[in-house]
Amino acid sequence: MPKHIVSGLKYLTAVELIRDGFSQKDVAKILEMDRSTVSHYLNGRNLSWNSIEVAEIITNFCSKDFLTLTYALLNDAEKTRIIIKTCSKKTYQAKVEDSCIGCGLCADTCLMNAIILDDLKAEIDTEWCCGCLMCGDVCPTNSIKISEEENGS
Amino acid sequence: MVANVKEVNAKEINVKRTSPEEKRELTFKDEICVGCGICEKICPVQAIELGPICAIVRNGAEESKISIDEDKCVLCGMCSSACPVDALEFDIDEKNIKEIEEYPKLIKNAEISDEECIYCKACETACPRDAITIARVLPERTKLVTGEIEIDKDTCISCGVCEEMCPADAITMEHHEPTSAEPTVSSDINVDKEKCVYCLICKKSCPVDAIKAVCRSCSYGEYDLNPEDTEIKGSSFIDEEACVDCGWCQEICPVDAAKVEKAFEGELIIDQETCQTCGACIDVCPCNVLSFPSPNASGDIDEKVKSDEKYCIYCGACENACPVEAIEVKRTDIRHTPTKSKSWDKKLESLKT
Repeated sequence: MPKHIVSGLKYLTAVELIRDGFSQKDVAKILEMDRSTVSHYLNGRNLSWNSIEVAEIITNFCSKDFLTLTYALLNDAEKTRIIIKTCSKKTYQAKVEDSCIGCGLCADTCLMNAIILDDLKAEIDTEWCCGCLMCGDVCPTNSIKISEEENGS
Repeated sequence: MVANVKEVNAKEINVKRTSPEEKRELTFKDEICVGCGICEKICPVQAIELGPICAIVRNGAEESKISIDEDKCVLCGMCSSACPVDALEFDIDEKNIKEIEEYPKLIKNAEISDEECIYCKACETACPRDAITIARVLPERTKLVTGEIEIDKDTCISCGVCEEMCPADAITMEHHEPTSAEPTVSSDINVDKEKCVYCLICKKSCPVDAIKAVCRSCSYGEYDLNPEDTEIKGSSFIDEEACVDCGWCQEICPVDAAKVEKAFEGELIIDQETCQTCGACIDVCPCNVLSFPSPNASGDIDEKVKSDEKYCIYCGACENACPVEAIEVKRTDIRHTPTKSKSWDKKLESLKT
């Protein structure tokens, strides 16, 4: 059930956020949930382990599938961004070549809102880049190069 | 997924892309387009195709001068930046990129200084795009020629000679059929002093010397004239949409009141051997650069098509229209405002040939 998978994804995000030092109150605010629901989640109640397992599988999908599936399930850009940023463990390096013409297609496509235009050139915020490569797919001049950062580098 | 929306209204084309972050909109105005094809050359994704310019201009074909493939267009705005006549407008969030500093703009301008202008209308007549309007207020005629005129109605025999002779139609007369009750042809005679220029023709032609008239200008000469009364006032207006900065106004102005700055420099080369004198280039040229020469004597033609590069904007429309490739338009320099984008700079430079 999509609803249950969404709950699973929220559960995983909540756990990560708590691990990152957020309070239950903050987590409730970020994910737009009741504080009691957050508390229930963290105590392992009201959620089937099956939902969590499915959600975990989704977080391990390739970045593009994880992102597009989550967006399709939630239909909420802001929450999708939070869930993806919190649950994906990989970091990316991004380089925009000088051949960029500043058409802004990448910025319009990026569901993570990680791209802005500066002086007619795309600029990618690697803090938010999830490595889905959708920007590169739409780039008419093939100017975007994104690579996974090696662990520890 | 973001997708472009295209709307075609008569010959106007509009391509739009709307995302939550921004709205990009490209508008093509066919009536302004001169068919130079610079947009086709600069488009980085080959989304623009130039139509059969010659057929469109000469026969009024029912199609736009260019077509835009909305599936290919990425709405970068380069075509708009490079269009020498502003037929392509590009807006981001309703703001024209000409007002956004980071976008390069061609440096071109035409202006008429009202300080210098004497409102002779030479530029208005010469402008090949009918872009100039000169509105002038002429001095009052009655203030330029003054004098006195008087008709002695007792002496006047109502012959009507003065009325017929008056070059300014200033004298009017009511003719009267005599009756037994009033056995005379005399009638009222009037001089319209607004119209009278005191030329004294009436006085000289009157057979009975009934008219007394004197011209002050003749008596006192130029000294009698108030310089303020002779002043021609007015204002000039250039329709920026229609103007292509060709330079006709600058060249024709007798007092150097018109100044034109051109974006392109270059060379126009016509192969007189190859030319078939079809006249397509002449019809297409937005600047009246080209014309058929008029021979002084029969058979005395040294050039098939004459050109004067003073008026050329090196847009290349003639080259596109020529069916036998007898014309080459070279662009050697392009003046535009700076851009930090290397790709834009490179693309603009690529218009040089």
